[in-house]
Amino acid sequence: MKKKIGLIFNGTWSHYAFAKAPKYRDIYQLIYIHDLTFDKIKDFEAVVIPFQSNHEALTRKKQIIYDFLAGRHSATGKKVFLAGDSTTEWLEGRWEDRPVNNWWWVTHPDQPPVTQTNYEHPVYQGLKPRHACWHTHGVYTEVPSHAEVIQTNSEGEIITWQTHHYGGTLLVTTLDPIVEHGIQQITHLDNYCDSLTAWLCGIRPTGKFEILKEDYGIDAFVETEGLRD
Amino acid sequence: MKPLKALIISNATVGSNKLFQSNEHVSYDIYKVTENFDPDLDGYDLLILPNGATDSVAMAKIKHKVRAFLDEGNALFCFSGWFTNWVPGNRWIMDNSLKTSEVRYFKKYDRYDLLKDVDIDGLIFSHGISGWWACGYIETAPGAEVILEDTLQRPVVIIDEKTTRGTIIVSASGPVAEVTYGTTNHSPSMQAISALYRNFIAFVQHKKQTSYEKENRIDL
Repeated sequence: MKKKIGLIFNGTWSHYAFAKAPKYRDIYQLIYIHDLTFDKIKDFEAVVIPFQSNHEALTRKKQIIYDFLAGRHSATGKKVFLAGDSTTEWLEGRWEDRPVNNWWWVTHPDQPPVTQTNYEHPVYQGLKPRHACWHTHGVYTEVPSHAEVIQTNSEGEIITWQTHHYGGTLLVTTLDPIVEHGIQQITHLDNYCDSLTAWLCGIRPTGKFEILKEDYGIDAFVETEGLRD
Repeated sequence: MKPLKALIISNATVGSNKLFQSNEHVSYDIYKVTENFDPDLDGYDLLILPNGATDSVAMAKIKHKVRAFLDEGNALFCFSGWFTNWVPGNRWIMDNSLKTSEVRYFKKYDRYDLLKDVDIDGLIFSHGISGWWACGYIETAPGAEVILEDTLQRPVVIIDEKTTRGTIIVSASGPVAEVTYGTTNHSPSMQAISALYRNFIAFVQHKKQTSYEKENRIDL
């Protein structure tokens, strides 16, 4: 089976753990950021750039992302999902850091970090509020004029937004679903990640998040390993 | 004592530059991973791989250099999961079989007093939530000493002075640093993390100083 989604990966283990989990490994292909070229991603249906990415390297390679989004070498535009932090050096939108609150659900369960969500968006359809937000990594204080806002916090600051301006669909959030699902400390993230995956490529993963011991302690990461033909 | 010279290798993740600030005990340089990753480790006493900012693809490319660095008597701290086998002798394995609500840590063996003034409950609980700190466990090299183990008696913090001629101190991806960034603002947790880090630094600094004095001793 040909993998559908390229996951731009910073060598960090949370990205690796997510993409190696049996329920996702036939769908997501890890693409090491320092090996990223247009040829390596052009055939994917979508590209994911998770939290804990190297935005300095992404800035140097930003044209590759925008070419993919525009659908260069394909009939239509593609989808790109960007999570966590970002920088105006490559993204039209101003991200600002904020303290992360991992414990609101214990100390202030009535004050979630996201207060408004557009549940009409396919990624959020059918999600419970708890599944649509666990914690955030900063906010967007500015988004492009062509963007539509999907999620905001109680201050009205933007957590998730989307635009079709670049030829395809760019969905941006300060949530961190890929990293946290890889870390496996939050147990409900199958809901978000499976909806996200279905929206990105049309396949909804099933089953539990499992970890294979043999994926750890490997000699070296080889990008072409796996089932991609 | 002479301050340690430490090199932090970072994958440029946001916030990773805020975890360590030079002081009278240690002076830090940061090396960011790029396409042409090939850091010069000469002149450093300590190599640090921070939590959340460690590039295991890059580190696999210099594993022989890391080994040589350690065999010169230097030290390695890695506080992030390493899925490639660049840490000599010791393997980190991700695992989710233990529920976070059941995660506890216990002192196993601590002949160097590395847990001095460390409230282990601060590592176990952040705002009353357990299982927020380490991830997975370590399969240790023969001769490595387990400092902390988890509920299932699996190593989560170890020191290894046998595999190489240097010192390896690693956690099963439990953040250890001078300050926390984004991970927690729970005071006991922040104190535990920084106390553990200061103890590691003091240990390596003392060991380096002792070694330096031995090498430079003039026998009468």
